[in-house]
Amino acid sequence: MNRTATILPLLLVLGFGIAFPSWAGSYTLIVGLLLCQWIALTASWTLCGGLAGYISLGHVVFFGIGGYTSMLLWQVVPLWIAVPAGGLAAGLFALLIGAPVLRVRGPYFVILTLGIAELVKYLVLLSEKELGKSSRLIFGVPSNETLYWALLALATLAIVILLIVRETRLGHGLIALRDDETAAATVGVPVARYKLAAFTLSAIIPGMVGALMVLRSAYFDVTQLFNAEISFAIVTMAIIGGRDDPRGAVLGAGLLLLISEFLWARAPQIYLILLGVLLIGFVLFLPRGLAGLLSRRGKAS
Amino acid sequence: MDHIFSGQLLFSALVLGSLYMVAALGLNLVYGTLRLLNVAHGDLAMLGAFTAFWCFTLLGLSPLLSLPLAAGLCALAAWLVHAGLLTRGPLAARAFDGEVLQRLEANSLLIFIGLSVILQNVAALAFTGSPRAYRYLDGVIEFAGVSMTGHRLAALTIAAVIGLAALAILHFSRYGLAIKAMIESPMAAEVVGIDVRRFRLGALMTGFALAGVAGGLISMSEQISPFMGFPVTIASFIVIILGGLGNLRGGMAAAFMLAFVQVYGVALTSPSYASVLLYGVFVGALLLRPEGLLARRVASR
Repeated sequence: MNRTATILPLLLVLGFGIAFPSWAGSYTLIVGLLLCQWIALTASWTLCGGLAGYISLGHVVFFGIGGYTSMLLWQVVPLWIAVPAGGLAAGLFALLIGAPVLRVRGPYFVILTLGIAELVKYLVLLSEKELGKSSRLIFGVPSNETLYWALLALATLAIVILLIVRETRLGHGLIALRDDETAAATVGVPVARYKLAAFTLSAIIPGMVGALMVLRSAYFDVTQLFNAEISFAIVTMAIIGGRDDPRGAVLGAGLLLLISEFLWARAPQIYLILLGVLLIGFVLFLPRGLAGLLSRRGKAS
Repeated sequence: MDHIFSGQLLFSALVLGSLYMVAALGLNLVYGTLRLLNVAHGDLAMLGAFTAFWCFTLLGLSPLLSLPLAAGLCALAAWLVHAGLLTRGPLAARAFDGEVLQRLEANSLLIFIGLSVILQNVAALAFTGSPRAYRYLDGVIEFAGVSMTGHRLAALTIAAVIGLAALAILHFSRYGLAIKAMIESPMAAEVVGIDVRRFRLGALMTGFALAGVAGGLISMSEQISPFMGFPVTIASFIVIILGGLGNLRGGMAAAFMLAFVQVYGVALTSPSYASVLLYGVFVGALLLRPEGLLARRVASR
């Protein structure tokens, strides 16, 4: 793999991201914040869904657990503790459920993760109801600029982790087990441990992102926090961008955010229909995504 | 807790179980013969439900008469999926290559997730997202101390007839035996001279049509909405996982078991536990059978 072709564009994007708030207006800052959110979520998802080939369609569960944790801790502890606490909670949850869940393979894993996310959503909804707290207000939320810097840091961290893991034994092991799990186990890859590591690692940053995003609005709503559409958007962004490539998260998140800015407010249904069409089209005809297209063109010239 | 032993709950559980049975019968046919994990199954039921709804509200047509129309529409959808996805394009080679079918990867599931999202949002765009209902046969019949509404009794009767007919066809007709052989082993079925391709299209159309009928039956007694499909899909999956692939009697037992768990579980707690029970059983079933739907087949060898 050509490292400069991967890292150089990413560094350029990062430089742009650092310079961005100095000229961005309040609306564009929110767009930037959302872009960082999606890049962080998609790049983390790629660790498990891309490298190991375990496609999670329930990644919102980590986002939600992180958000719920930080909402409960908010105003008890400062932001810089609430956010890692959200990541920790999500990571612990992944670690706990990982061993049994990762025994389920292929398409069954996909629907299982979807089911788990819905189950946790309804459990949280139930416990909020039992507590008599069907809706909560959050006071003293941080400014959009603070959120932007934190999310930019998380997006960068997610991509750096992805770049590092790909170069290590863990990354090579994951790619080997994606191609053939039995063969990988035979040549000595600790399959179960590697899968659990990838699954847990891919949960932590989404937990922290959720911990930040829940503080974006003053109104707390469980169904919004655990919305299955978030999981669907993550998978679609990863597939469209290219799940084999660290640039994929940036490309996929960028393209879909652009479409969503045009359509979401006016016609959310059309946005989701388009997402479905793009997902089907890319799975069928461009399984390596936009990044794969770039690599192919790079080689041809 | 007297009401736990009342006939009323028993009747509710029987009605729900029979609806699950019809829906799962369709999924069983499609998965059994094509190894296609159709996550859009419940959305076809949604299509059937809206067909019955509009026929009743606009044309005054009894749901009993619009059921064949719902079935026909879904069968047409099956034909379109077959023509557009399974006989051309990158899926075609995989979908019709004998035993390769058995290892249908997670990717193909993503295609049907995309289809499901498209169906839901097209319906939401066309009919708005708000739940709807109509009043049909809502006279109450008293029998053995149980008051049964006409529409639920009708739904139960039709579902029972479909279930018994399916059992008879599968066990006694040539068509049914061919389907059973294909579920057992597509390759062996081809060797003994079954026209596998033709039967696959037939099974796909019948399976989709059954989903449409199930939706029409659901619309008779419950509120319908563009997003009603996912729980139906999940319930059908539970029934096949627990009942066994291609095992109709096992499937029937599992459908009624799930319905009893849900109805009695809710009666003992509160309605807010309904979703928790459904997804809880689903996650539990998949964790107990990590091989998914093929577990029983493999185990019985």
